[in-house]
Amino acid sequence: MKKRGFSPCKNMWNFLKKIFKSGWDGFMRQGFLTFATSLVIFIAVVLGAGLFFFQGGVAYLTQQIRDKIDISVSFKSDVPRDTILQIREDLTKLDQVKKVDYISPEDAYNTFVEAHQGDQYMEALGLLSANPFLPSLRIQTKEPSQYKQVSEFLAKDEYKDLINEVNDYKRGVMIEKLGEITKSVQLLGILLTVFLSLIAIIVTFNTLRLSIYSQKEEIEIMRLVGAKNGFIRGPFLVQGGLCGLFASIISFMLLTIVLFVLNTQMTTLFMGFDCLAFFKSNILGIMLLELVVGLGLGLLSSYFAVRKYLRD
Amino acid sequence: MIEFKNVTKEYAPNLFKEAKVALQNVSFEVKAGEFVTLCGRSGAGKTTILKLISCEEKPTSGTVMFDDTNTSDVKKSDAYLIRQKIGFIFQDYKLLSYKTVYENVAYALEAFDFNEKLVKDEVMQVLELVGLENKANCLPKELSGGEKQRVSIARALIHRPEIILADEPTGNLDPYHTRDIIKILLKINEGGATVILSTHDKETVNSLHKRVITLENGRIIRDEEEGVFSL
Repeated sequence: MKKRGFSPCKNMWNFLKKIFKSGWDGFMRQGFLTFATSLVIFIAVVLGAGLFFFQGGVAYLTQQIRDKIDISVSFKSDVPRDTILQIREDLTKLDQVKKVDYISPEDAYNTFVEAHQGDQYMEALGLLSANPFLPSLRIQTKEPSQYKQVSEFLAKDEYKDLINEVNDYKRGVMIEKLGEITKSVQLLGILLTVFLSLIAIIVTFNTLRLSIYSQKEEIEIMRLVGAKNGFIRGPFLVQGGLCGLFASIISFMLLTIVLFVLNTQMTTLFMGFDCLAFFKSNILGIMLLELVVGLGLGLLSSYFAVRKYLRD
Repeated sequence: MIEFKNVTKEYAPNLFKEAKVALQNVSFEVKAGEFVTLCGRSGAGKTTILKLISCEEKPTSGTVMFDDTNTSDVKKSDAYLIRQKIGFIFQDYKLLSYKTVYENVAYALEAFDFNEKLVKDEVMQVLELVGLENKANCLPKELSGGEKQRVSIARALIHRPEIILADEPTGNLDPYHTRDIIKILLKINEGGATVILSTHDKETVNSLHKRVITLENGRIIRDEEEGVFSL
């Protein structure tokens, strides 16, 4: 049979104009449907942004935990400062080592005083005539599990007479435990993200499917009056995309307002994780994420929902 | 133009419905420019015939020819090529509820022609023909039953189809509007289009003095050139 009618190449511009106009009209005129669809996509977008913040929070928390994991090496009181700094240099060259801080006896004393103002430990310290603190090095490894290699390095004969104590053996169990907790938190974060993302996709898809089901008869009419599948599908895709775009914009605006108004309370609530700072440093990523989630869900759900009625 | 050869249509049973034979060994031919009335009780098979012509359904056995095309060979995604040659008028109007009168009529034309100026001129012309030029911006919910049916007719005419399929177009209308619609259908037929009208309204059938095909239980029991309603 000879195909008559329009050629998409010749009339592409007019075709797109019609599709967009039709989709826009549907978006504006079907108020309740638009609202319901946008609301579900909005929830999915908020969930997506929430999960992004959650991942940021998890990264912050694990970093906090890792920063607390260190090896403290105290040296004998007669070891010269230069020798300790040389050992520090040697340690810094190790692949596993992230950071090494030199703590002089004076620094250790001042830190202790600051931390124990007016308590019984200060009274005990006051009884001593000399500074009891020894010079030390605080070593942070890149991964919590690497403390063992550093301990082995420090166990070399050349350092034996200089070192008073390496506290890794006492803290070893704790370090391993913290390392495990960090990994578990990260894994939990990933699982939760995947799980909630799946729920968001399923809920959005089904809501859009229901909303398009309510227009099943209209699709049937469009087919009966001779509309091609692309001409039927197009406006639904535009409408779904507009709902997604609308949901993304509203969600981004609300997120911005909430973060600026409630940041102090949120920082306290999330154990020092500064949500606003995280938002500012990732603003483009968050904007893009919300757009991709909103538009993606709107377009894909519409596509699959309409396809059901246009399939051969 | 349209030819049914030994057509049988059976609907398979499902969870909610029993198996049903809608048409049994039906054969007839409709020539270009004819006005044919399909008449019979509800469930006689009138709507099934219209669905088979428009490729909504495929025959279980036998062939339905539309011009030179066997409709059984037409894929669902290509059915629009047949439908673009047909103008549909339905009992329940089947208007797109969130589109205005103008947009409803324009949609059928836009389905294969996107020249905005041409679409506008043609739509206004056909709305004038059915006397709805002043209602162009109304939504279907703002119209009476008769007006809705006239929109449906305008939509069926807009792309100058070769054939009009009217499925009980006066079923929801009062006698005054019924006469109106029948007059329009006759006018369309005078203009050269083939019209197939399905109805069970005795007065309408008898007033037409056109060919009448009478169906009963899925079979053709009469096919008369200037037929009357007799069941």
